[in-house]
Amino acid sequence: MEFSPAEKFWMNFKLYQLWRFIVLNIKILVVVGKSKRS
Amino acid sequence: MAKVVVIGAGFAGHTAALYLGSRIGRMHEVTVISNRDVFGYVPSWVWVGVGHMKPEQTIFKLKPVYDRMNVKFVHASAKEIHPDVGDQYVLGEEVGSGKDVRLDYDYLIVAPGPLLNFAGTPGLGPENGFTHSICSLPHAIKTRDAYLALCDRMKKGEQVKIVIGTGHPGATCQGAAFEYIVNVHKDLVKKGLRDKADILWLSNEPALGDFGVNGVQIKRNGIVQKSDEFIKAVFNDHGIRYQVQTGVTKVEEGKIHWQNYEGDEGTTDFDFSMLIPQFKGQPFKYIGKDGSDISAKLTNPAGFVLVDGKYGLPYPELAQTPEAWPAQYQNPTYKNVFAAGIAFAPPGPISKPFTNKNNLAIAPAPPRTGMVSGVIGRVVALNVADLITKGEMTHSERMTDMVAACIASMGDSLWDGNAVVIVMHPVVPDRKKFNNEFGRDLFTSHLEMGVSGAWMKFMLHHTFIWKFKALPGWTLIPE
Repeated sequence: MEFSPAEKFWMNFKLYQLWRFIVLNIKILVVVGKSKRS
Repeated sequence: MAKVVVIGAGFAGHTAALYLGSRIGRMHEVTVISNRDVFGYVPSWVWVGVGHMKPEQTIFKLKPVYDRMNVKFVHASAKEIHPDVGDQYVLGEEVGSGKDVRLDYDYLIVAPGPLLNFAGTPGLGPENGFTHSICSLPHAIKTRDAYLALCDRMKKGEQVKIVIGTGHPGATCQGAAFEYIVNVHKDLVKKGLRDKADILWLSNEPALGDFGVNGVQIKRNGIVQKSDEFIKAVFNDHGIRYQVQTGVTKVEEGKIHWQNYEGDEGTTDFDFSMLIPQFKGQPFKYIGKDGSDISAKLTNPAGFVLVDGKYGLPYPELAQTPEAWPAQYQNPTYKNVFAAGIAFAPPGPISKPFTNKNNLAIAPAPPRTGMVSGVIGRVVALNVADLITKGEMTHSERMTDMVAACIASMGDSLWDGNAVVIVMHPVVPDRKKFNNEFGRDLFTSHLEMGVSGAWMKFMLHHTFIWKFKALPGWTLIPE
């Protein structure tokens, strides 16, 4: 497997990465919240 | 008034101390005994090791935090544990004076972090060997100095060989070594020296991207992606060579000796090497009322504390038995003794173990650091508080239930840095709950690389130090 030029572009495209930053933070908080955390 | 003693002030012990202090610290006596008077934020030592972060940015003094949290702090090395009823105490040696310190307890939490077993591999380690480590702050500083000296040699035109990975067939914490190797790559690129270095990943993992947790698997657009393909792409992109299924057996100056799955023996030359050692339990003496050694009641042969797991299952059975993993981290013989973080004895490996024809077991141990340590520290602390206030435990969390998020830094720059964001659910596969060959929730598990990961890593450094300082809202930040 190699990263394609398109994948590398998106990995460094700041506006898209800002979106991913928000999405990933929400995802982690939701997943951690849904896990047992008893 | 109940007395609770916590041994250790790392991710597990410190988390436990904060929860205990906030829950019962006013009415009961909570004491932390640690041979270090500072908390060290271990995940950022990877940046210390390449000279990108000052060591003092990764530590803070424990006592002022504990003073606010109604926790007593004793700066001493625990050396003996006396767990028999009627005479339960921890004996320590005060740092500086060398005086004995006796701490009586009703409940004990053992969370001292690992013994870095450099002696398990002849020639390994920064003190009596030829390799480096980022497993403690003094080691990370020494590694940084050696790495920067290597860069100076490269600036003079010298070609060098760098080897990073694991230094024992049973080592764990491959994630930290992975972060270090990609940070070294990024740093060399920035310094314009990358063409002067041949970089090799040398690891005991069964496959690339295994990380001691049987890899990470996700589903994207209906297709299952695995971490071995992902990490292979990272290494190919960075020009990093790799050699897995390899157990390091000995190190000499400039030469690493190893064996692989096929039983072949070989050597690899190096100019600079950072290899993670095997982790063992701290060598406390466990002493009975009659003065006898009762370690076998409390620990396994590696010194890890036995808890409520099901031990001794062969790997194929263990892999199908999620309930074999402990839920409350309570010693079955001494019910008032708990273990958290690296200190508890796992029931077996998560990754498939392998023994080669020379009878050398090449098998990564299960990682119990970072988020896992923090979660267990919280569970144990809340249960101890429960026992004191209600008389029964109400909390439990197996590693087969646990979510872990890991941000593997690949350069710290907020502009052109990078990181792999890994979410594993659960940490230990549960093949009963998740109906796929991996035993994981492929929807919530996540694997992604980008600049946003570098931002997350930066954010985590600051939010976690905020949390560990118990500043306002600290309980809202997940472990």
